Amino acid sequence: MKAVKHILVVDDAATVRMYHRTILEEAGYAVTEAANGVEALEKAAGAAFDLYLVDVNMPHMDGYAFLRALRGQDGPQVPAIMASTEAADSDCRRAFEAGANHYLVKPARPQQLARIVGLLLGERA
Amino acid sequence: MTETAISDDDFQRFREYFYRRSGIQFEPSKRYFVDKRLVDRIHATGSTGFRDYFAMLRFQASGAEWQALVNEMTVNETYFMREDYQFECLVQSILPELAARKRRGEPLRIWVMPSSSGEEAYTIAIYLLERWPQLADFDVEIVSSDIDTRILAQAQAGLYSQRAVQQLPAAWLQKYFKREDGGWRICQMLRDAVAFTRVNLNDPREVDAYRGFDVVFCRNLLIYFDDASRRQAAESFFDVLRPGGFICLGHSESMSRISSLFRVRKFPQAIVYQKPLEGL
Repeated sequence: MKAVKHILVVDDAATVRMYHRTILEEAGYAVTEAANGVEALEKAAGAAFDLYLVDVNMPHMDGYAFLRALRGQDGPQVPAIMASTEAADSDCRRAFEAGANHYLVKPARPQQLARIVGLLLGERA
Repeated sequence: MTETAISDDDFQRFREYFYRRSGIQFEPSKRYFVDKRLVDRIHATGSTGFRDYFAMLRFQASGAEWQALVNEMTVNETYFMREDYQFECLVQSILPELAARKRRGEPLRIWVMPSSSGEEAYTIAIYLLERWPQLADFDVEIVSSDIDTRILAQAQAGLYSQRAVQQLPAAWLQKYFKREDGGWRICQMLRDAVAFTRVNLNDPREVDAYRGFDVVFCRNLLIYFDDASRRQAAESFFDVLRPGGFICLGHSESMSRISSLFRVRKFPQAIVYQKPLEGL
C-alpha cells in the first residue's frame, strides 16, 4: 500500500486552512495545520512533511521568512508551494527566491491545487 | 573599490564546481562572460574576493546565493512562435497520434523545460486552443519549469516586450494579450493554463517527481551541457515520459548523438524523438 503523503498547511486564516485541508484530504493526503511561520517551523522540526503549502502574509513570521529558515535547515529537497492573494510580479519573484517551487494565487481552484500538489509529489504518473 | 580579478585557477575551480552542481559546462571561450558575472556577484554580496565568495557559495545552507548566481549565469532569450514548425508538428502529428491511444477525458501532459520567460509554454497553449480541435476531449496540463527563479516570476507575470510578440499573428495578439504600459500582458485564461515550477534538471531528487508526461519540449538547453550531462538529461527525460511519449529538441540538437534510448520520428513538419511504446 502506498504511504499517505503528509502536507503542512500554513496560513493565519482558519477558513483558508480549512479550505486547503478539505481539498487536500479529498485528494488523499494527510494534513497538519500551522497558523504562522513560527508554529510551522516548530511542527516542521517535529515531523517529516512531504510538502509545504505556505501563505505569504502572516503575523509573527511570514511565509518568506519561514521558507528561508526551512531551506536553511533542510535544503531544497521538500517541495513548497507559496500561496498569496497578491498576483503582483514582485511577490511571485520573492516567493521563488525564498525557495518556493510554485507560486499560487489565492483562491486556488480545487483541481488546480490538487494538480500542482500531485505534480510536486510525483503522483501524476 | 579595489579591482576584483579571477585567476586561471579560480576560473577552473569555479567551472568545475558550477558544472557539478548545475550540469552546465562553461567552455574557456566563455571566460569573459563568466568572470564578469562572478565579479558582479562578489561585489553584490560584499565578499572580499573570489576565495571569500566561493567559500560562501559552497557552504551557505539556504542556497540563496547559489540561486542568485544561477540566475545570472543562465541565458534567457526567446520569443513567441520561435521555431514554430515544432508547434505545427505538435498539433498536426504528435497530439493526434497520442490522442488515438487515449480514452476521452484522460490526462495529456506537456512539460516545457527550460521554461525561460514563458513564451514557449504560452505559445503551446495558444496552439492547442487555436489549432487542435480535440482539445476539449482531454484533460490537458502544461507545466513549465526552470532553474532560474527570476525568469519564472517573469513567466508567471506574462508581460512581454514588442520584440517578444512580433512573430505572433495579429489576430492571436489581439485575442490573448492586453496592451499595458510595459508591453503586452498575456490574458488570465492562458496564465491559468500553465503551471510554472522551479526545478534543477541536474538534481535527480528534484526531477524524480516529474513523471507521466506525454510530450517534453527541451529546446536549446542541452547545447549548454557537456556530453556526460546531456546523457544524464536524456535519461531523465526518458523517465519523465510515458511509453510512446515525445521529446522535441532545438533545431541544432540531435538526440541520436546523445543517446540511443529514443526512436527518431520524422514527421512532415519536424524531426522529434519518441520513447518506445513496447515493453509496457
